[in-house]
Amino acid sequence: MLNGYGGSILRVNLTTGKISKEPTPPEVARDFIGGRGFGIYFLTKEVPKGTDPLGPENKLIISSGPLSGMLVAGGGKCDWTTKSPLTGGYASASLGGLFTAEMKYAGIDSIILEGISPKPVYLFIDDNKIELRDAAPYWGKGTFEVEKEFKEKFGEEYQIAVIGPGGENGVAFAHINHDYGRQAGRGGVGTVMGAKKVKAIVVHGTKSVPVADVDAYRQAGMALYKACKEAEGLKEWTRYGTTIVVSWCDEVGALPTRNFSAGSFEDGKNLYGTVMREQIVITDKGCFGCPCPCGKYSSMKRYGTHVEGPEYETIGMLGSNLGFTNIEDVAQANLLCDDLGIDTISAGGVIAWAIEAYTKGILTKADTDGLELSWGNPQAVFALIEKIAKKQGFGALLADGVKKAAQKVGKGSEKFAIHVKGMEQSAYATHNATAMLISYMTCDVGAHHNRAWAITYDLQVGRDKVVPEKVARVIWLQNFRPMFDVLGACRLQWVELGIDRKLYEPLLQAITGIPRTWEDLEAVGNRIWNLTRLYWARENEGFGRAWDMPSPRFYEEPPQSGATAGQITRLEDVNRLLDMYYEQRGWDANGMPTPATIEKLNLGAFVS
Amino acid sequence: MTAIFRPMGMLKQYIGGQAEVAVPAGRTIRQTMTAFDMPPEIAALVLVNDEQQSKDYVLQDGDVVKLMAVIGGG
Repeated sequence: MLNGYGGSILRVNLTTGKISKEPTPPEVARDFIGGRGFGIYFLTKEVPKGTDPLGPENKLIISSGPLSGMLVAGGGKCDWTTKSPLTGGYASASLGGLFTAEMKYAGIDSIILEGISPKPVYLFIDDNKIELRDAAPYWGKGTFEVEKEFKEKFGEEYQIAVIGPGGENGVAFAHINHDYGRQAGRGGVGTVMGAKKVKAIVVHGTKSVPVADVDAYRQAGMALYKACKEAEGLKEWTRYGTTIVVSWCDEVGALPTRNFSAGSFEDGKNLYGTVMREQIVITDKGCFGCPCPCGKYSSMKRYGTHVEGPEYETIGMLGSNLGFTNIEDVAQANLLCDDLGIDTISAGGVIAWAIEAYTKGILTKADTDGLELSWGNPQAVFALIEKIAKKQGFGALLADGVKKAAQKVGKGSEKFAIHVKGMEQSAYATHNATAMLISYMTCDVGAHHNRAWAITYDLQVGRDKVVPEKVARVIWLQNFRPMFDVLGACRLQWVELGIDRKLYEPLLQAITGIPRTWEDLEAVGNRIWNLTRLYWARENEGFGRAWDMPSPRFYEEPPQSGATAGQITRLEDVNRLLDMYYEQRGWDANGMPTPATIEKLNLGAFVS
Repeated sequence: MTAIFRPMGMLKQYIGGQAEVAVPAGRTIRQTMTAFDMPPEIAALVLVNDEQQSKDYVLQDGDVVKLMAVIGGG
């Protein structure tokens, strides 16, 4: 019996229909703990080198952690890991909501989907009753309709993770939707689920989870809740959620504007969190066990619709980055992406690229199925979102992601395809924010913000400074922050409420029985980080330094307006940042872990 | 003629770790932050008497100012 765990790994071979369970390996729980750690372990060990992301050998690995579903403020996270169809490397997406708790109560730590089903199915889990069922009636439908139908069919206590047409049709950045508005969003995890012909996972569990010390568990769990409830920023954080940063990003030049050509938006005020709260938010919504619900549920009167969101990232990528000036238009674009099953960040990135290419004459109406693309044109964007999800006409080009679309179109459009490693950059403009820039460049899934959100540090120490301290900060964040995704808990309690992270230590010990400090956890995080790097190299011939380079926009094209007008990071500083990063990581000049680093981290068994 | 300046979380370090400090009215919030060597752009949210204001708001007698930083993003 593993304290803090469901106790089993569920394997579902979709090709044969065989469903089996095996005990969660204690040594994997010890070394990789859970969540994202389990994901990279199984991916590296079980998915052969060179696997086609959409082929039968790829696996989709869904893992909870020891804090998931427990008396833990924010213990509602699970990780979705696979080989990414968007990047060809490591994909790991975090899902909030209520799914992971039910999964754990069903006694499952990881669900591993293998093979490809001959026909559309959904996976039904109700404690020990686990079946593949016919999904033909649901195939082709939007995520909201399917979730509603399943809730009506099985009951509210059943939790649903579902793909939309985007995942079915092979859009490279398809996501998985859950609880009508929570997503495992990035890297194409929904694409892989769609390739496996799995429309949804329905899960419900009633089992107990063993803990090492019940009294200490209750005490430590309540101490964390108490700290959240007493946090001085709780009221404001709950009121605005992540939208609190829209106005701030606009002020400091980090708000992506018209395909990251600037970091401040002249109409940004219409998209601020205060405006959104006043104009469209109708209620707050939280994930499992959360005392500070950051989700905002919005009603769009001009469309007669409602949606959970938009979050900051979506406001940036489907708002200012597309030149939108009305928060209802942003929310409607959010709704379409969620229902059709595509990631709002990547969608915003690739659509912004298309608009810029059109305004520069690289694309014409002959390319866009007659659509006239321009900044601040919601109707055209809504049409594009649908075309992408269905891979119709021009949408099929965009559905492969911005890197491949720009490679196909060429004509210099590669220069304003804003991505790293093929993943569209999320919503922080990095013309003059060197810590955030190196964070994006070295992020283990591509240009995503959540591993090391370092932009405040840029402001504290001087945004254009290129110093080892900044790189050290980014590395620390990369080792530390993703550990929440390993543990199965949300990081926002620490991130935004400023909760003392030490409160997690006695809680984790009471649950698992294993004493671990944050220093211990960061060491695990460092090991996982290096393993993901080795995975990228294993899967991509010639992988190295060139893959870490950002879009030239951030070192060649200073914004013409806004807070960062005239500012860029020089190319030589980009390279200095990389040099410092590699040295501090113990990697060689090409960005690969050295033999000494591999040995020190005991990763030799993972290197072929 | 004073206002109460209440930086939250990490911003407390700029006023010596205290919970709050009295500041003169008549100056903008931006000027007041600068007086404490606090980079104005580091505060994500400025609330005066629980209403959001810009950093160019001129402090009035009796105002209570809360400043919230973005600690770690989304």
